[in-house]
Amino acid sequence: MTNSNRFLNRLFVFLVGLVLLVAGGGVAAGALIPGVQQTVSDAASNAAGPTSDALSGSAVWILWVTALAAIVLIVILVAFILGHGHGRTSTLLRVSNGAGGDQPSGGSLVIDAKVAQQVFEEALSHDSNIASVDVAAFSVKGETVLRITVHSRRGASPVEVRRSVDKAVRTWDSLLGETTPVFVQIVSGIRSQLSGSSTRVA
Amino acid sequence: MTDGIYSRLVRRETHSSRSTIAIVVALILAIVLAWIAVESVLAALGQPALLAAPADAVKAVLDAASAPAGAIVAGAVVVAVVGLILVIVSLSPGRRGRRSAGVDRTAVVVDDRVIAQRLAQTAGYAGDISPDQVKVSVGGGSVDVVLELQPGRTVDKAGVQRSVEEELAGYDITPALRPKVRVSEKGSVR
Repeated sequence: MTNSNRFLNRLFVFLVGLVLLVAGGGVAAGALIPGVQQTVSDAASNAAGPTSDALSGSAVWILWVTALAAIVLIVILVAFILGHGHGRTSTLLRVSNGAGGDQPSGGSLVIDAKVAQQVFEEALSHDSNIASVDVAAFSVKGETVLRITVHSRRGASPVEVRRSVDKAVRTWDSLLGETTPVFVQIVSGIRSQLSGSSTRVA
Repeated sequence: MTDGIYSRLVRRETHSSRSTIAIVVALILAIVLAWIAVESVLAALGQPALLAAPADAVKAVLDAASAPAGAIVAGAVVVAVVGLILVIVSLSPGRRGRRSAGVDRTAVVVDDRVIAQRLAQTAGYAGDISPDQVKVSVGGGSVDVVLELQPGRTVDKAGVQRSVEEELAGYDITPALRPKVRVSEKGSVR
C-alpha cells in the first residue's frame, strides 16, 4: 500500500546482482578456462603496477576522490533506503469550507482514520467468520484509500466474509456521504489460528 | 477513477515489493563504501589502515587474478552465485501467495491460506471426514486436496471433487484455481 518505488527496487537489485555475477563469474572463468585465464592474468598483472602506484601515495588526490565518491554514493543509498514505506496517513477525509450544499460553511471537517477502524470493528466483530479487523488509511496517487485487513476464522468462507465486509462498507459509505476507495485483504494470520474453528465437525 | 487505483493496488498487494532485499543490499553496499572511504582517507593522510590499505587490497586482488588460487576461485563462484540469485529475484514476479477476488465497490485480495482452510472444510463435509484429515495445498493455478482416510474407510471422491469445484466457482479469483482431489490410504488411526 505504500509508495515505495518497486521498479527502482528491482532495478537496484538487478544491477548489483549483475555486477557481482560478472565480477565473480569473470574471475572464476578466468581461473577455470585456460584461454580466458591468460587474458585475465595478463591484464591483471599489467594493471597491478600502475594501480598500486596510484593508490600508494604518489597521487593523493585519487584517494580523496575515491573517498568523496564513496560518500556521495552512501548519501544516495541512504536516500534510497529512507524513500521506502511512505504513504500511510491518519486523515481519511477532509471537507473544506465552501458554499455548496454538500460542504460545511464556517469551518472545515477532518475525519480521522481511527473513526473507520472503530466503525468497521463494531460492524464486523459480531460476524462468526471474522476474528478481528484492522483498518488503515493510505494515500495512493493523491487519493485516500482505506485498507481493511480481515483476519478470518479458520475455515471461514471468503465469499461470506466478503459479503459482510461489503455490507459494512455500504453502511460506511452512507455514514460518510462519500465513496472512498476501499481495499480489502482477507488473511488468515496467527490470530485466526488461535481463535480456532467456528464450527466443529465430529 | 477508482478502477485504476484498484488494479494498481491489487497488483501491488499480490506481488512482493522487493523492498526488503533492496534495503539489505543497499545497507551492505553502504557499509562497504563507508569502509572504502575511511581507508582512502587514512591512506591519504598517511595513517595506518583499519583492515587493509587500498593499494595493498587492490594489489592483492589483481595478484590473485593473475595467479588464481583455489580459495579465490571459490570466493568468486560464491560472489557469482549471490549475483545470480539477486538477478533472479529482481526479475521474478514474486507472488505473495494471495490472489485477487474481484473488484466492484471494493477491491478484495484473499490469502491462499484462507482458501486452503475453507476447501479443507468443504472437502471434509462432502467426504464425511474431519477437516483435520484433509490436506490442502494451494499452488499457482491448482489446488491439491488430499483426503487422508483411516484404514477401512471409503470416500466419495467424485462427490468431494464436485463440491470443491462448486465452492471454488463462487470465488471469482484470479489467477483461477483448478482442484485435484486425491485419496491417501496411509491415514493415521487416532
